[in-house]
Amino acid sequence: MDKTASAAEPSSPRGGRDHVDRTSLTNDENRYFPRILFYLRHLLSPSDTVLREEPCSVAAPVDILSYSQREWRGNTPKSVLIRKGYEAVAREFEGLRRVRGDNYCALRATLFQLLAQSHRLPTWMQNCDIKMWPSELKGPEKDLIGQWRFPFGGGRAAVEQMTHYLHLLKKRWEEVVHAADAEARESACQQVFRGQEEEYGLLEALKFLMLRTAAGLHAAMERGEDVPEFCCLLFARDSSRCPRSLFTNHLRLVGVSGGLEQVEMFLLGYSLQQTIRVYRLYKSDSEEFVTLYPNDHARTWPTITLLTEDDRHYNVPVSSCTSGPSQYGTSTYL
Amino acid sequence: MSQTFHIPGQPITAYVQRIEIKKLREGSNLILGFSIGGGIDQDPGQNPFSEDKTDKGIYVTRVTPGGPAEDAGLIMGDKIMQVNGWDMTMVTHDQARKKLTKKSEDVVRLLVTRKSLEDAVRKSM
Repeated sequence: MDKTASAAEPSSPRGGRDHVDRTSLTNDENRYFPRILFYLRHLLSPSDTVLREEPCSVAAPVDILSYSQREWRGNTPKSVLIRKGYEAVAREFEGLRRVRGDNYCALRATLFQLLAQSHRLPTWMQNCDIKMWPSELKGPEKDLIGQWRFPFGGGRAAVEQMTHYLHLLKKRWEEVVHAADAEARESACQQVFRGQEEEYGLLEALKFLMLRTAAGLHAAMERGEDVPEFCCLLFARDSSRCPRSLFTNHLRLVGVSGGLEQVEMFLLGYSLQQTIRVYRLYKSDSEEFVTLYPNDHARTWPTITLLTEDDRHYNVPVSSCTSGPSQYGTSTYL
Repeated sequence: MSQTFHIPGQPITAYVQRIEIKKLREGSNLILGFSIGGGIDQDPGQNPFSEDKTDKGIYVTRVTPGGPAEDAGLIMGDKIMQVNGWDMTMVTHDQARKKLTKKSEDVVRLLVTRKSLEDAVRKSM
């Protein structure tokens, strides 16, 4: 981790740094952006003679306890609290993988865990032709898909792009589920998380799934049907009274100028039909230390686990295995 | 119980400790509460604890808080020289694992070296 290059370095293990908003730059500025970053890095870390590339959006596993002791030295109440949280996590997980810390980070950590851990495709993905979903969006949300913007731009229509990424999501998911062994699976995951167009396209696809689910739940609410509790909270916000404003004021901006709020984590879990279990380290002393998003299908939906120190930046814990690759080469727990 | 002494003729850069770990029974497993890395069949370049990056010895890569190894005074970064009198400086990773996890033994006596007292104090904080 290169602390001296922090001004230009988009990833951070603590707090999450704001993603530099490239959509507001002109074409010329956009072209010179990588070069400016290069020089900034060079200026800020003169001891590096070679620019260290970090092509992967999810880092290799490090030992949780050594990470915790390194990052949270000292004896402030906060340090003590966070270290205590990590010790509890360490009873279940041996390693931690840092996730690139931009505004997509909650989505990225979730997608990574899905691809790294799923044993099977979820039923909603198996039973439906999800490629049709973007064009099938009905009702008041029908035209929203046309307003979708993808980080890597591209000339094709939004509906076409979204269709492509939904198809790709299913394809990658199938690939990992059928991977021959752990190494093949890791390799398939690394293909996705290279910080390129594919990764961001898949993250936008997750946002689409959230919108579609929200639209369905909102329609059910209007019909007076039973809906999960979080829906009331989701649509009680002044800024998101309906799916349209949820999109315009929240979902559209996720990854650009903001991350996911807690109530949106419920929506994410619900859309994927996965229980997203989060260790919230700044709450190690309270009942909210481990929060389930959502909490009403804990027994029936598969669980994926994330870590956060502040509900803004998410990292990924790695299952306790007795022997496996670690930053020290093979390490065996006795 | 542990003994610290200086190796005669060596500059005071390494401390030798005797560590006695009483294994903990967890169900059908006997656990020690620490992880090992290294071995003559492993890549020594990745070891952050060794001074000499060609050192293929067995190192303690992790110590579980509150576990038997921590109780016995083992510290992350310790190099394991012997287990119950058996040499560990020229063994494979798996041979090391086997020497430490014999089901017939519930105590293991280790001889470890530790870089410096300062390191040891810092790591134990």
